Amino acid sequence: MTGPYVGTVALVGQALRRDRVLASVWALVLVGVSYASAAATSSLYPTAQDQVAAARAFNATPAVVALYGPILDVNSLGELAMTKMTVLYAVFVAALFVVLVRRHTRTEEETGRTELLAGTAVGRRAPLAAALLESGVVATAIGVLAALGNTLGGLPIAGSLAFGASWCGIGLVVAATSAVACQLSASARTCGAIAAGAVGFAFVLRAVGDTTVSWLSWLSPFGWSTQLRAYSDPRWWVLVLYGTAALLLGVCAAALEGRRDLGSGLISARGGPADAAAGLTGPVSIALRLHATTVLVWSLATATMGLVLGAIVPNVTDLLDSTSARDLITRLGGEGAIERSLLAAELSIVAVVITGFGIAAITHAAADESSGRTDLVLSTVSSRARSFVAALLIALGGTGWLLLVTGIAVSLGYGLVGGDLVAALADVVPAALAQVPAAWVVVALAAVAFGTRAAWTPFAWVLLTGFVTLGQVGELLELPAWTIGVSPYSHTPLMPAEGFDPVTELVLLALTAGLLGVAWWRYRSRDLG
Amino acid sequence: MVEVRDLVKRFGSFRALDGLDLQVARGEVHGFLGPNGAGKSTTIRALLGLLRTDSGRATVFGLDPWRDAVEIHRRLAYVPGDVALWPNLTGGETIDLLTRMRGTRADPARRGVLLERFQLDPTKKGRAYSKGNRQKVALVAALATEVDLLILDEPTAGLDPLMEQVFNECVAEHTARGATVLLSSHILSEVEHLADRVTIIRGGRTVETGNLAEMRHLRRNRLRVETAGPAPDLSHLDGVGELVVNGTVLTCTVEAAGLDAVLRALSGAGVRSLTSTPPSLEELFLDAYRENPGPTP
Repeated sequence: MTGPYVGTVALVGQALRRDRVLASVWALVLVGVSYASAAATSSLYPTAQDQVAAARAFNATPAVVALYGPILDVNSLGELAMTKMTVLYAVFVAALFVVLVRRHTRTEEETGRTELLAGTAVGRRAPLAAALLESGVVATAIGVLAALGNTLGGLPIAGSLAFGASWCGIGLVVAATSAVACQLSASARTCGAIAAGAVGFAFVLRAVGDTTVSWLSWLSPFGWSTQLRAYSDPRWWVLVLYGTAALLLGVCAAALEGRRDLGSGLISARGGPADAAAGLTGPVSIALRLHATTVLVWSLATATMGLVLGAIVPNVTDLLDSTSARDLITRLGGEGAIERSLLAAELSIVAVVITGFGIAAITHAAADESSGRTDLVLSTVSSRARSFVAALLIALGGTGWLLLVTGIAVSLGYGLVGGDLVAALADVVPAALAQVPAAWVVVALAAVAFGTRAAWTPFAWVLLTGFVTLGQVGELLELPAWTIGVSPYSHTPLMPAEGFDPVTELVLLALTAGLLGVAWWRYRSRDLG
Repeated sequence: MVEVRDLVKRFGSFRALDGLDLQVARGEVHGFLGPNGAGKSTTIRALLGLLRTDSGRATVFGLDPWRDAVEIHRRLAYVPGDVALWPNLTGGETIDLLTRMRGTRADPARRGVLLERFQLDPTKKGRAYSKGNRQKVALVAALATEVDLLILDEPTAGLDPLMEQVFNECVAEHTARGATVLLSSHILSEVEHLADRVTIIRGGRTVETGNLAEMRHLRRNRLRVETAGPAPDLSHLDGVGELVVNGTVLTCTVEAAGLDAVLRALSGAGVRSLTSTPPSLEELFLDAYRENPGPTP
């Protein structure tokens, strides 16, 4: 490599070294879950009839199709085994590449480390090129490992290769997308939000496509993963789509990078007021002010997602007009019951996503502490208690608020399309709010990590991923009920399909209160910074 | 104002503070000196109640920093060594926020004058400021209010010499109003201009503390004498050291007690020029280290 690319190889090496724990653990968890799914499925459905029946049932349940994508060939054991892996777990693969690319490009620039490197014999283009190359290496490794794992799990080799290639392809496309996002703003936080938003948009686009207008799914890389049909006569040419998209986005990122200065974004930094508004007086008002934009963006995103998710509900039973599907619907309790269980499934997924907001808010407080801003605040008359309450207020209040927004938006979408808005509001808003206690337990766990040591806060993401994984694969792996019960989400009643369960909710709220007590007890007596 | 006795703070097995003593009297500018990693910032963070100490005693305004943090903070302003600002708040907003959080309201005229003197643009966002400008934001916020105690942790590290001058003037104005200043630094000249008394620490321990004038008194003056004829022999006199004679130019160090005898010996030698330099803080600093070498890092 010469000219602007000098040093790229060295930077790739350094990036791989920095990511050796993060990327390996992430990849191994994903590949492990995939292997387990592959290995467990054939024993779960011993006969061909069982498999076909299960696949039909999946396809007949719109909630499942919206979440995982359809099973295109009901006779394929591989497709059945990989239902959850093909799309949903590809989102977790995608998340890794948002983290990796941002970490090696915009975050490095924001902290000034890129400038430090730019003063050495490292080319101007090297950091971005290295981040993308490193992502390529990691994506390829994940693809190969997934193919290997699934083959060992008893699935056909060719299909497993195609499946591994789909995870690798998602990784490449998302890495290039993140690279574009990281050119847009000078703030790593904003860049991360843009990249995550793009991944979320692609997922929702596919969910809508798979349940309503099917060509929409072809606009989303996650849709390609289903359409690849890895385990039944693979359409190998679909792989070209990933490659082309990644290449185009990568070129786009490089072109954008060439048009900006180091440390700046394409969206130029604006000035602001010379004096503070009268209300800006302490930790709580700082927190409200700093999170205002984030809360607004999240509110808009959840409202849009809620409207879409609500609007598809009344239509789903129309799609199922075969006799066998009709039978199944009747057996599941009629159209109303299907709609309600789809709503419940949607809300439980959204609750997990919104918990992410709460954890991010606590992580933000931890970042304030490690950067020294908390020192500055606490050297004034603001007490530890107030600064702690400020962080919790945003995390817990924001989580509750976003679930309320979700409830209202889903009701609007469902009620306006279905025709009975009042009934929809009465059904869905309480159901969305019923998710609050479980989400709060997880946020409170994040607060305990933060209260114990600021650097431990990111551990909450591991917990969240663990709870989701338990809920997803716990039953598949026939884990004992108590392991699945570790996840607070598993206790929330599936409203509106099930009734309200005040005892469980109160227990979860009491648990939240207890955890917050522990968090404060640790926080009040520890060193800061 | 500040009273620290035998303070110990451990981080794991590392003793960041190892029996540190520090006394700051009302109305003085107290220089708090030590090399990087000596424990200056740790001491300051303990005084602010951000760290819990393991043993020893520390009080500020006679109050316990851990228990009465908020009471203490009502009467002080702190400028950290490495100022981190909120990326989305402008400098002006941050200044207002910090002064309000001290429970006081900044005099807008004084704030304006300080912005002018430090040549700071208050409309820029926190992430757009350079290190020096971030420091100015924290300094303006600290100097814009009436407080009894200013705690400044290496406050001029990012400032250019012109701004350093402005800073010195501002601190002088503050002390003229009766405020006390604790000024940590590893840059000696910065403290020399401002400080009445200094405490020198190393390896978490106080090496030396005292009045700058007294410390000079205890130390040697450096003499440089040019004579018309051959230089007289001073080597037999008490308190004379590092004697170098180069033709008609003689240099040596002399203890205060020996100066009189040296001057008498020189008086007949036809002195053409004589300079006597009091030891700079740099030399005091090095002396203090030489006599009390800390644990090698």
